[in-house]
Amino acid sequence: MAAAVGEKGGQGIMSRLEAKHLSKAFGGVQAIDDFSFSVGERQIVGIIGPNGAGKTTAFNLLTGVYPLDQGQVFLDDEKISGLPQYQITQKGLARTFQNIRLFKGLNVIENVMTAADPYSSYNLADVFLYSGRKRRRENEVREMSRSFLALVGLAGYEEEKPENLPYGLQRKLELARALASNPKVLLLDEPAAGLNPSEVQDFIRLIRTVHEKFALSVLVIEHRMEVIMTLCANIYVLNFGKLLASGTPSEIQNNSEVTTAYIGEEDEACLL
Amino acid sequence: MEYIFAVLTFTGITVIGVLGSYLVTGLTGLFSFGQAAFFSVGAYTSAMLVKNLDVPFLLAVPAAMAVGLLAGFLVGYPTVRLRRDYISLVTFGFGEAIIALLNNSANLTGGAMGLSGIPQYTNFAIVWGSVAICLALAVGYKHSKYGRQCLALRADELAAKAMGINVNRIKLVTFLFAAAMTSYAGVLYAFYTTYVEPGAFGWIVSAEWIIIVFVGGINSLTGSVFATLLLTGLPEMLRFASEWRIAVYCVIVLLIINYRPIGIFGEFELTLKWLRQLGKKGVKAS
Repeated sequence: MAAAVGEKGGQGIMSRLEAKHLSKAFGGVQAIDDFSFSVGERQIVGIIGPNGAGKTTAFNLLTGVYPLDQGQVFLDDEKISGLPQYQITQKGLARTFQNIRLFKGLNVIENVMTAADPYSSYNLADVFLYSGRKRRRENEVREMSRSFLALVGLAGYEEEKPENLPYGLQRKLELARALASNPKVLLLDEPAAGLNPSEVQDFIRLIRTVHEKFALSVLVIEHRMEVIMTLCANIYVLNFGKLLASGTPSEIQNNSEVTTAYIGEEDEACLL
Repeated sequence: MEYIFAVLTFTGITVIGVLGSYLVTGLTGLFSFGQAAFFSVGAYTSAMLVKNLDVPFLLAVPAAMAVGLLAGFLVGYPTVRLRRDYISLVTFGFGEAIIALLNNSANLTGGAMGLSGIPQYTNFAIVWGSVAICLALAVGYKHSKYGRQCLALRADELAAKAMGINVNRIKLVTFLFAAAMTSYAGVLYAFYTTYVEPGAFGWIVSAEWIIIVFVGGINSLTGSVFATLLLTGLPEMLRFASEWRIAVYCVIVLLIINYRPIGIFGEFELTLKWLRQLGKKGVKAS
């Protein structure tokens, strides 16, 4: 029944990221159980669910942090599950982390540059000979990173240490870094966690901007419903690792199963 | 005077060894307790080639570095996949195995007696010229995609992978670069002292290099160089304190860990730009 609702959402849009029957167990706990979904080209899709529903695990499965027990992931009809993590990223899947993971020991702009580095083709000989090829590429990467920083609103912070930035800016830096890895699909793991209401609105605008500017598909996990409901064309609801429902924001809002999963059932005793 | 030059020459050789440790431990965050083994590989290979096989010195140098690279590959390739604490164990074991090998193949290496009568082909100028070149290579490496990726994976390996960095490859490249450089330092050592013995290359030497890197500051190449000058040069010069060297070491390390965990130099790097700014300030002040 839930699946039937799901078919409506992605209508007519070519699928960019497609996950089929993902399953993963940790010991006796089935963290993800036969979860299938797809993200269309230039589509923003949300994954919601109560704490411990397996949302972040789903991200970790997509990006290759954990091996899949079962299931497959396709990016533009090319199978990417089973590849090492770094190759999955280079194919075009970039992510941010729920608990911010910036590189300490590198400054703000270097954090962004690192994500572009795997695409730099200069080699050790260029490094040791201080070649023009290396210098040009370094300048190119630096300029590109500078423009990503400017885009997310971090211009002027290039030489700062990331851990000294306020929380909201650290989130933006993670976004800039993810963009620098040249993604087709952006995975955002609770991008609005820890932000105040005005920062949340700001971040929503920012996601819209980068989504349009780079023609990205976006998959976002979020607890803040305003983020999910304003951004997403399609929503998947996870509960205990299983797909509970999927559909457009309004369909999800009116789905009684979802309300039950989130708030629990109405107890007759309370009404008395 | 000659004595001072000798001390400075040894210090220069140590600087190159410490640079290797800086690349592996400081930049990449892998504790290699077998770094001195590459030093012995370089020293013994070149010494044996020249002494036993009459290979010209200039050929023996690249040959020794190639053997160092090969040893580095044999240890590094399987090891970089391991967790960091296991990397320390494996490199430690490798280092001690090399020492045992040198001790037990007496007919080739002279065993515990060592190998003597190596011609003295290096001198103060060659050593410090080499220091300058190795330093330039290390600086170039640090300020490239390689160095950045090393720092990134040192800070957070999972995030580094998620940014598309081939973590194992970068670790291996750095490890090999350090192995080649340290082997070269070993060549300089053998052809300066004219005598090598296995005891000079144990894990204590590797540990000493790591300590130097930490004292100077793991984020600063400048720190590694100055800490080497301080920790190896000074005790030799202050002969009266040399028996207390280890005690002085311990005290310095304890002080640094407790009061300045980022090392003496922190993230500071001595650059031309900095010198120029200093010059400008000096002019203004006067």
